[in-house]
This record gives sequence, C-alpha cells and structure tokens, in this order.
Amino acid sequence: MNPRSRKALEFVLDNLVWFMLVFVLIVFSLFVPNYFQLGIFANIIEASSVLGVMSIGLSLVIIAGHMDLSVESVAALSAMTVGILFCSSGIGMGIQLNPQWLMVPVSLLIAMAVGGIIGAFNGYLVVKVKMSAFIITLASYIWVRGLVLVISGGRSAQDLAPAIRWFAIQRLAGLPLTAWIAVACFVLFSLIMAKTPFGRHLIMIGGNETATFRAGIRVNRNLVIAFVLAGAIAGLAGWLLAIRTSGATANLGVGLLFNAFAAVVIGGVSLKGGVGTLPGVYAGVLLLSSINTAINLMGLPANYTQVIHGLLVLAAVLLDAFKQTIRQRLA
Amino acid sequence: MTEPLLVLENVTKNYGAIQALRGISFSIGKGEVVALLGDNGAGKSTLVKIIAGGLEPSSGRMLFEGKEFLAKTPAEAKAAGIETVYQDLSLCTNVDVVANFFMGREITRKVLGIPILDERAMEAVVGKALASAGTRIPSLRTNVEHLSGGQRQAIELNRFVHWGGKLVLLDEPFAALGVEQTRRGLEMIRQVANQGIGVVIITHIMQQAFQVADRIVVIRQGVVAGDVARNKTSPDAVINMITGETLAGAGPAG
Repeated sequence: MNPRSRKALEFVLDNLVWFMLVFVLIVFSLFVPNYFQLGIFANIIEASSVLGVMSIGLSLVIIAGHMDLSVESVAALSAMTVGILFCSSGIGMGIQLNPQWLMVPVSLLIAMAVGGIIGAFNGYLVVKVKMSAFIITLASYIWVRGLVLVISGGRSAQDLAPAIRWFAIQRLAGLPLTAWIAVACFVLFSLIMAKTPFGRHLIMIGGNETATFRAGIRVNRNLVIAFVLAGAIAGLAGWLLAIRTSGATANLGVGLLFNAFAAVVIGGVSLKGGVGTLPGVYAGVLLLSSINTAINLMGLPANYTQVIHGLLVLAAVLLDAFKQTIRQRLA
Repeated sequence: MTEPLLVLENVTKNYGAIQALRGISFSIGKGEVVALLGDNGAGKSTLVKIIAGGLEPSSGRMLFEGKEFLAKTPAEAKAAGIETVYQDLSLCTNVDVVANFFMGREITRKVLGIPILDERAMEAVVGKALASAGTRIPSLRTNVEHLSGGQRQAIELNRFVHWGGKLVLLDEPFAALGVEQTRRGLEMIRQVANQGIGVVIITHIMQQAFQVADRIVVIRQGVVAGDVARNKTSPDAVINMITGETLAGAGPAG
C-alpha cells in the first residue's frame, strides 16, 4: 500500500464516527419525509446539548482508565439546587439578585461547585482508598439521586428566573445559547486533551498507569482532577437541564447515563481506557440525537428508541474491534 | 573506584514475615558500571525498586552523592537524577513514540500562559536521539502497540541514554533484543558510563555482565554474596557465588 492511500485510510479510521454521522444524515434526509431542513439539524444539535456536555466529563474519566457512573445523578442534584434557589414556584425559593444578570454566574458556579465536590469525593476514594471507581461511583449514582429526592421532598421547582432562562431563548445563528455552550465545551476540552500535557498525561495514565507513575507523572493528582472535572461538567449539564426545563423535578435526567455511555462508546472511546477523542464523542452524541429525531419524525413509537440505541452500542463495539484488526495490518 | 555516587548501608525489606532483603550494602561510583547478578528471587528487582522510589525499604539507609537519600516516589528519584529501565517495559502502548519518549517531561510553549505541547520540537529531538543510536522505527507517530518487542525496548534504552541523569538502573534491559541490538545496547551503556554516569545493570546472562561491567555484585538470599572487580574474577567463580557453593573469589562484603 502506498503511503498516500495508507494515510487516507488512517484518516477514515480515525474519524469513522463522523463518516457514520454524515452517512446516517444523508440516508435520513433521503428517506425520512421532512428530515432535510435546517430547523431539524438545529434541533438535533440543540437536543444533544445536555447529553453532550455530560459525555465530555464521562469521557475524561474513562479515557484515564476509570469510570464515573454518578454523572447523571450529579447533574440532577445541580439542577435541583439551581431550581430550588432560583425558581419562583413549586419548592423554589425565588432568590433574586441585583443586577439580574448576576444570577447567571452565581447559579452556574453553584451548579459546578456541587458537581465538583461530589467529583472530588469520588476521586479521593478511588485514589486514596484504592477502591474500584465502578463501585464508588455506582454508590454515588444512588445516594446523590437520593439526595435529590431528600432536598426536593419529591416535589418540583418551576419558573426559573428569566435572567437565567435567557440562555435557552436567545439564539445565535439559529441555535440557542445553551447549544453553543455545549459546542464551546467540546472545543475547549478537545484542545485540552490533544494539546496540553494534562490531557496527554490522562491518555497515558489510561494506557499504562504503572508506566506513568514510574515516569514521574503525578498520577493521583491527575486522576483526582479528572474526577473533579467530570463532576463539575456534570454540574454544568445539570445547569443546562434546569434551563431547558425551566426548573427541576426529582426524576430529572433519569436514563441520561446510559445515553451518555452509548455516545461515548459510539464515539470511539474504549472502556478499557487510553483510547478515544472528544470530537469523536461529539459525533457519537450527534449520531444518537439524529436517530432520535428520525424516530420522532417517522412517528415510530418512542419505545423503539431504546432498542435502536442498544443495537447501536453493540455495532460500535464490533466496529471498534474491526478497526483494531485493520490498524494492526497497517502497522 | 572514584568517589561513590550511591552508597547502600544495610538496606532491608520485609514483606510481612518474609525477608526479601536481609541487609544489602554496596556502593556505585561515578562512571562505574556495576552488574547485579543473582538467582531468581534473590532480591535484585526489589533492590532496584527501592533505589528507584517504587518501594520503601524496611530499614537501612542510602547515601546519594554523600547525602542521605530516600525516594518516596519515582518522581523524587527522577528529580535526584536516577533513571530506571524496568524489566516489564514502562511504555504506554496507546500513544506514539514521541509521547512515550517524553512521558512526564513534555516540551511545551506557553500560549496565553497555558502550556501547549510542542509536538514539532519533541519529534525533532526523538528523531535525532533514535538516529544517533541507530534505531530504525518507520514512523515516530505510530502508536507503540504496533511496534515489535525489540523496537519497544530500543525506545526505552534510547530514552535513558537521552535523559541521562546521574545514575541509571537497568533491570534486564536486553530481554527482548536480538544479537545486534544487544551489542549496540551494551555499547550505549559504556558510552553513558564514560559521561560519568553510574550504571547498575541486572542481568541473567554472565557474558553480558563480563562484557560491560567494571564490578560484579552478587546477591543471594537477600544479602551480598560477592562484590568483586570484573578483572579479578571469572564466570565460574561468579556462578559459584550465585548458587552459593563457595565464596571463593568473593571480596569483602560491603
């Protein structure tokens, strides 16, 4: 094989999920009535913003060779905290700040701090007590959701302060600002993972933790930071969720975790750690979202969504194995 | 021997009731190559890990450049100038050759105060280092998982030659290398020692020890069973020290 076609093949392999996304969009545009509209595409991006942000945090931890099952519950807790503080009906306390815009950074900081604290707790236990991240974050997944029920008493908060709601209403180039926030997060964290020593170290820790420790990389510190980031980013996802629904309910975001896992795996992140890129994850998120939209447009019962998502994850894993064999032949 | 670089005094290591090291004392001079020999389970790898900061000794003390020294982590050992090549390779196979070469010591440039990896500068350094060592790897951007065992070990060896430091510990560095690469590896060791760097090499192969070492230290059952200059002993005498049949030819322990 000549170097040029080899390079082309490697490029396709590296960006396979983007090609899949384009392929799926073309097929749907051709065969699903009313699919090919700018509004639909904008909707796909908009609908995927919460899931997308959550997937970023999850990816960081998985790439570093660990696991965070708590992101969904953390997002719910952050949303509920913001809801209780800044909603005016239901269980909302309706706190007002002057000037109004001050509520935006304050609510965002609170949401991310809530997430960051739980992330730090997870990270500390994983690193210091050396317990399995799977078990610790599974516990967090359960108790944090419980905490949401406790602080809300099972009730909901409605009517989020308009100054915060503004992000869901104000549009830029046809997309609400919440969607732009998700896109900006992907760009930012893609750069961090690809271009900074911190990102490089996370990838290497996921590949061979012993080797990075021997090389003098501060593995524990990096891992705790990854967990804190995953928590804080989940908090941001919760903030977006509260804005989208203009409040918070006790069961807000249930099921997001599995969609986030699906997106991460479809996006090419290996659950074994050390492999995967964030642009790929974003493509995975968009792929899920475009399939959901197609199901809605075709008028299929929503129950099919889960079956299709499951099969998609399976296909992604098979594809990953296939990619590995091709790469081995290339080398 | 010139002035001692690292001195070990009665270093022990217990795992519960099991004594892996029962009191090791020896020293390494600047620019000296010491071959550490011993049967399986004699405690060689444990000793290397204690010097390199992967394990803490149960008792005893070490002097590095005349000062009390104890590395709690490999990072501390590295900062002091001790490089280690481990028996089980310490490479991240999921990233490319360049990333592995610079693991933990990446070249960065600041953009708005944020450190950004300088890939081009790093690739140039690696290309030069590998070329001067005569190692051929098709692309520095291939992930290490796609490279052969020999190529991987060559990367590790070139890494320590490049970073140098003051003391290099090699735990069976040639296990996966072919004849020609081993010869080159031994040359590299001499070259490194000539720069005044102390080298400790663990090996099972008597011939390698005699080719490269200035001094041979034999460990048996957690103690130093022999510490002799290479030109004052013979392979047969060393084998006897390893198996413990006699102590003939052994110098004063410690």
